[in-house]
Amino acid sequence: MTTTYVLNRGLMIMLLIICALWLIIPFTMAVLWSLVDPSQPWTPENLLPPAMSFYRWEFAWNNSLLQPALLNSYLLAPSAAALTLLLAMPTAFALGRYQFTGRELAKLLVLLPLVVPAFVTAIFFTSLLYQIGLAQYRFWAILFAHAILFLPFAIRILTVSFEQVRQDHIDAARDMGARPWARFRAAYWPALKPGVLASLLIVFIQSIEEFAIAYIVGQPGFVTIPTLLYSSLGQDFNRPNAAVLSLILAVPNVLLMLLLERFLKSANPALASGKG
Amino acid sequence: MRQPAPWKLALLLFPGLGLILIFIGAVIYIAVAQSFGYYNLQGESGWTLEFWERTVGRRAYERSVSYSLYVGIVSAVLSVALAYPLALWLRKPFKGSLTVSAILKAPLLIHGIVAAFLFLNVISYHGILNQFLVSLGVFDGPRRLQNDDNAIGLLIMQVWKNMPIALLLLTGAVQAISDDVLRAARDLGAGVWARFRKIIAPLSVSAMQASLIIIFIGALADFTFQTTIGPTNRQSMAQYMDWFKERARWNEAAVVGVTLMVLSLLGSIGLAGAAQLIFRGRRK
Repeated sequence: MTTTYVLNRGLMIMLLIICALWLIIPFTMAVLWSLVDPSQPWTPENLLPPAMSFYRWEFAWNNSLLQPALLNSYLLAPSAAALTLLLAMPTAFALGRYQFTGRELAKLLVLLPLVVPAFVTAIFFTSLLYQIGLAQYRFWAILFAHAILFLPFAIRILTVSFEQVRQDHIDAARDMGARPWARFRAAYWPALKPGVLASLLIVFIQSIEEFAIAYIVGQPGFVTIPTLLYSSLGQDFNRPNAAVLSLILAVPNVLLMLLLERFLKSANPALASGKG
Repeated sequence: MRQPAPWKLALLLFPGLGLILIFIGAVIYIAVAQSFGYYNLQGESGWTLEFWERTVGRRAYERSVSYSLYVGIVSAVLSVALAYPLALWLRKPFKGSLTVSAILKAPLLIHGIVAAFLFLNVISYHGILNQFLVSLGVFDGPRRLQNDDNAIGLLIMQVWKNMPIALLLLTGAVQAISDDVLRAARDLGAGVWARFRKIIAPLSVSAMQASLIIIFIGALADFTFQTTIGPTNRQSMAQYMDWFKERARWNEAAVVGVTLMVLSLLGSIGLAGAAQLIFRGRRK
């Protein structure tokens, strides 16, 4: 017991050191770079920027495409998460609860969007949009593409959740006279909840991070967080401005992660289904 | 499990699987057709092998294929190899294990491009790493570490970004292995490696395969890491495809795109097969 304790402590300390190198130092550097005042450049002789101000922050908020990009990304991600969940549920139910010929093949075919690389999908989806004359509806096109591209994650996760619903729970609920909704609440929901939360979370993250579709289908003029940051790193690279953008884009996601990690803590599929 | 009526099954499968098949089917169809000269945006369309012959013969094509395969395979294998010990460590909850798991999964929510920028900042010519190594006397003066020719920086970032995916998938699989089985193996005298090789790996092989495949395909088709922190003397396949597209050479872009799809499929089958063979092969 004590050896395990010492081992865990040692590993924890090592991990914290790695984490400092991995996360804290890079983010501190980004914060410092974002505070560099344009009046005096930050040269390598100085440990800290010689003049610091919030000039770059105000500038980025007022003079870049940051506001529309935030709006677009944070509209797209929850919409895609909800739409994907809606589309995934029936298929996951069929794969998780029914036995039919071709079930294994269906499970494999669901993974198709993962096999086709995003840039290929993006380029030839755009080509398709041009050929059917829908290229101007960029938001809807990107939303549609996101919902379908991230279906495999949702379907795979929810299939496992549906498999974990125990038939004896359903039967017991039915024997006790529960109506379909009550049966769903009592027998299905406890096993499904972690899967539903995990699907929403994973699609939300994937959509926020998605670059290829947003970049190629969105051209020209439709910006999301990743496409804006990418262009700020490319053509006219300005380190302090890129630092501001990086922080504005990264910090909400990190906070979200902490929230959702807390959210998912109670959601252990093994516990919910009575195994363990 | 019950057998549903065919109409009911079709209705259930349509919004999920059905839409996937229509969407991806259309994308693949257009890519393949364009690589053989159809659906040209300008000029005449019609069957030809010209684009395949012209593109495949190029040295740049060959180089981008082998380079992308290298990045894909190394990233997938390294990420999974690093995730396994962590997943096993976090198998049973202990004080602070939730914090550890949150820290380890942090890269999942840090955008790839943000990560690339942070990394560039740290390793840049006057960055903190260079200054640190100079002050230690390891380097005589600052060196150019950015966009290194051997893609080491790129591989570090690929593993940094992808390891949590493997960890997420493996943690669930490893937690599902019952203590009785592991205890029995230990009582029979199995060491750490034998327990991993004969029990843990075979019982979590499907999660391992899923991790390998997801990471491999992502890294094989990488564009953003490659164009920000990758070597400047190499082109990944996605970058090469984009290069053709930017010049409105859609048919050649389609040739690279089709190659990329075929390699994703073959590589995934190869990696999954290898995992199966190595860790399941000796089961009786």
